[in-house]
Amino acid sequence: MNILDARPIFHRLWLRLQNWFLVQDERIPKVAGRRSLWAALMALVVAVLVTLVWLAGRYEISQLQAALERDTADAVSDLRSGLSRDVQTLQALQAQHTNLKTWSTQAQSLLRENRDWLRLEWRDAQMKSRAFVDSPLRQPVFDRTPRAEVLTEASQSCQRARRFNGPAYSTSYYVPQAEGLGMEVMELCLPQTQEGELVGYTLVTYGLQSLLAERLGQSLGRRNEVSFTEADGTRLAITGTHRRGLRLFTAQQLLDLPGNTLVLRLDSRRGEPNLFPNVLTALVTAMSIALITVMVLLVKDSRRRLKAEHDLADALAFRKAMEDSLVTGLRARDLQGRITYVNPAFCDMVGLPAHALIGHNAPMPYWPPEMVDEYKQRQAIRLAGNVPPREGFESVFMRADGTRFPVLIIEAPLINTQGQQSGWMGAVIDISEQRRIEEVSRASQERLQATARLATVGEMASLLSHELNQPLAAIASYANGSLNLLKDPEALAQSQDDVHMALRRIAEQAGRAGRVINSVHDFVRRRDQAREAVPPHALIEAILPLVNLQARKLQVNVVTRIEPRLPAVWCDRTMVEQVLLNLARNGMQAMDRPECTGRVLVLQAKRAASNAEHSWVELSVTDVGTGIAPEVAEQLFTPFFTTKAEGMGLGLSLCRTVVEQHGGHLAFEAQSTKGTVFRFTLPATPVERATLPGKA
Amino acid sequence: MYSPQNSTVYIVDDDISVREGMAWLLRTRRLLSESFDSAEAFLAMLENTTDPGAHPTKQAGCILLDVRMPGMSGLALFEQLLANGIAQTWPVIFLTGHADVPTAVDSVKRGAFDFCEKPFSDNALVDRIEQALHLSHERLAVSRQAGQLQSQLGELTERERDVMRLVIEGLPNKLIADQLEISVRTVEVHRARVFDKMQVKSAVELANLLRTLS
Repeated sequence: MNILDARPIFHRLWLRLQNWFLVQDERIPKVAGRRSLWAALMALVVAVLVTLVWLAGRYEISQLQAALERDTADAVSDLRSGLSRDVQTLQALQAQHTNLKTWSTQAQSLLRENRDWLRLEWRDAQMKSRAFVDSPLRQPVFDRTPRAEVLTEASQSCQRARRFNGPAYSTSYYVPQAEGLGMEVMELCLPQTQEGELVGYTLVTYGLQSLLAERLGQSLGRRNEVSFTEADGTRLAITGTHRRGLRLFTAQQLLDLPGNTLVLRLDSRRGEPNLFPNVLTALVTAMSIALITVMVLLVKDSRRRLKAEHDLADALAFRKAMEDSLVTGLRARDLQGRITYVNPAFCDMVGLPAHALIGHNAPMPYWPPEMVDEYKQRQAIRLAGNVPPREGFESVFMRADGTRFPVLIIEAPLINTQGQQSGWMGAVIDISEQRRIEEVSRASQERLQATARLATVGEMASLLSHELNQPLAAIASYANGSLNLLKDPEALAQSQDDVHMALRRIAEQAGRAGRVINSVHDFVRRRDQAREAVPPHALIEAILPLVNLQARKLQVNVVTRIEPRLPAVWCDRTMVEQVLLNLARNGMQAMDRPECTGRVLVLQAKRAASNAEHSWVELSVTDVGTGIAPEVAEQLFTPFFTTKAEGMGLGLSLCRTVVEQHGGHLAFEAQSTKGTVFRFTLPATPVERATLPGKA
Repeated sequence: MYSPQNSTVYIVDDDISVREGMAWLLRTRRLLSESFDSAEAFLAMLENTTDPGAHPTKQAGCILLDVRMPGMSGLALFEQLLANGIAQTWPVIFLTGHADVPTAVDSVKRGAFDFCEKPFSDNALVDRIEQALHLSHERLAVSRQAGQLQSQLGELTERERDVMRLVIEGLPNKLIADQLEISVRTVEVHRARVFDKMQVKSAVELANLLRTLS
């Protein structure tokens, strides 16, 4: 298993595991289950690490073993080639040196060259020794044991050589030496032929020990113990160093020679591949440690992330609940004016789902069509970076069903985490209920005032009747008393003075009653003196602020048309303004229906038909409302007739009274298309009055 | 019994012309009247009378009371008169404007003699005033008689009272004597004394007299 390949796989596995953990965690946060999974993961990681280390060790060992096997094979081939070279050397000896003398000289020198040759012999075909030379480098090998006693192996090998007609080796055998020692030797027998006739044998005695030492000892003996063994493992010869306490590697290789088979065994004592035997293992270990560290860090990190995620989820849930529970509508817009967010309250308010709003740009679907231009302008101002007033501003929005409702908008710049403005956040409060309450309270206030006025009238009537009752009661008393006296003719003479006095009292009391009546009359007459010359536009301008206030609420467009160079009218300014205001309010209320579109109220002043003595000015109020039903029209000017729930039914009748007091008249007619026009005339200021100072 | 001379009409009204007119009208019908310009003045008159024997309430009378007056209103005065019992002796007639009719009707239910709407039909009012004075006289007479009877009973001795009780029950003298364990003669003496003191001539008369008291 290749470690470098394994890492990415492991990493992927880890990531997958981690993913799985996260998913699992989201689904069912089972703490116990998660712990056991973590334990399993740790165990797996440890197992993988242990396996890796073990495998690395194994690999190391196998490398060593392979090297040893290679060495052994090399050694065997070295030996084989060395032995075949020896055969060639011997063949050359046989061929060149046929007489004994030169043979011995040559043999001497060959023995000096080949240290593992112990003895060279030349024997004839009957195995009789013709010549022999012992190695000059050591004691003659058959010193203690006579050669003839140990010739069995040699003769067997020579028979074999004769059969093969080539070199043959004998099995090895033990030759005792001096001082109780001995050595394992092996014979090589090379047959000598002349013209196809076997004439003799050349025998070489190899010392197995020397063979190993000379041929392999140089290259292998330092680190290994090199030995020849028999098939059953018995060591025949051994060379090389012996190191203890280390791990033993063994390689064996067969060296099969003609006539003999030896086993070459290499025992290599190498350092045990311990836990960190080399760089590879060290690398794996280091990486494993790093991996575990990273894993621990990742676990910590993922825990922190999980916690943060939980916190975030909590915070989000909190925010969501907060937004959903708000009755205030929230609306966020980006810097281009597109809606980026709305909360449920806002959706409820305008009656549109969030997906129909988000991403929308001006004109918004909740803008009343008649206000689009104004709102566009306002949005342009906002997008230019002008901060709206902190206390908010009032506006009118439209629901999906087309009804309008007033709102209070509080906008603030939306600043992102980089500190840059990314849009506008607006809180939208539906103030229609508030308005309605204000309206109701205003209406009830008005009703209260009306009631108060009525109460005053009742009070005045009561006071008046009391004031009149007193003198009338006195008059009745005197009159009845006088009648009583007059019934008795005898007493009449005495009571004449009394009757006289009574009649005087009656006259007095009648005068008193008259004065009461006069005072009432005076009060009425006083308003006559309040008349002044007023330019018609001043009358209209005076009521405009009040009219506009209501017009904005009902989305009515107020248009004034005043003919140029109109004469001033002679009127009781306060009363006429009341008339105009009353008519304007009636007109606007007539247009306060959802189906009424294009609401326009026209206030007009123009010259009316005039004659030489009197010139007249006509003021009119035109609406495009629902018009007046015929049965209502009949009773329109009847006092105490009303179509409004909170009305007193005095408005129009008072209007007509006021206009008629001025000498004009009040009339109404249906407009050609729709709506109604109310017109009334007022006298223009007579020339002599207009010139009076301070009256203009 | 009734005579205009020993009865007075008390007029309480803040308006002088009404007071004077009314007084003058009453005079043409030979009725005496006294005028007060406020409820407080009327109450002051009642309290300032020093001699209890000659207190005005010993005489018959009736009160003409204006509902609406500055200061104490006619209704408040009526409440006080109900509380101190004068309203029982002197019937109260309210004079009222048009707006005060419901309150006036309410007052009649609580014991006022009548109410009259201004401007009133005067002789009819004076007729009602005379009826009120009659009623006042009757009430005074009844209370006066009851007072006299009480004083006569007070003159009887213990024994005479026992005898009187048994006489009223209708027992003959003999049985009375047995019950009281006295002689018939003594009973006769007691009986004669009782009749004398109570100013009656028979037992039946005595029983009737005592019945009026209860």
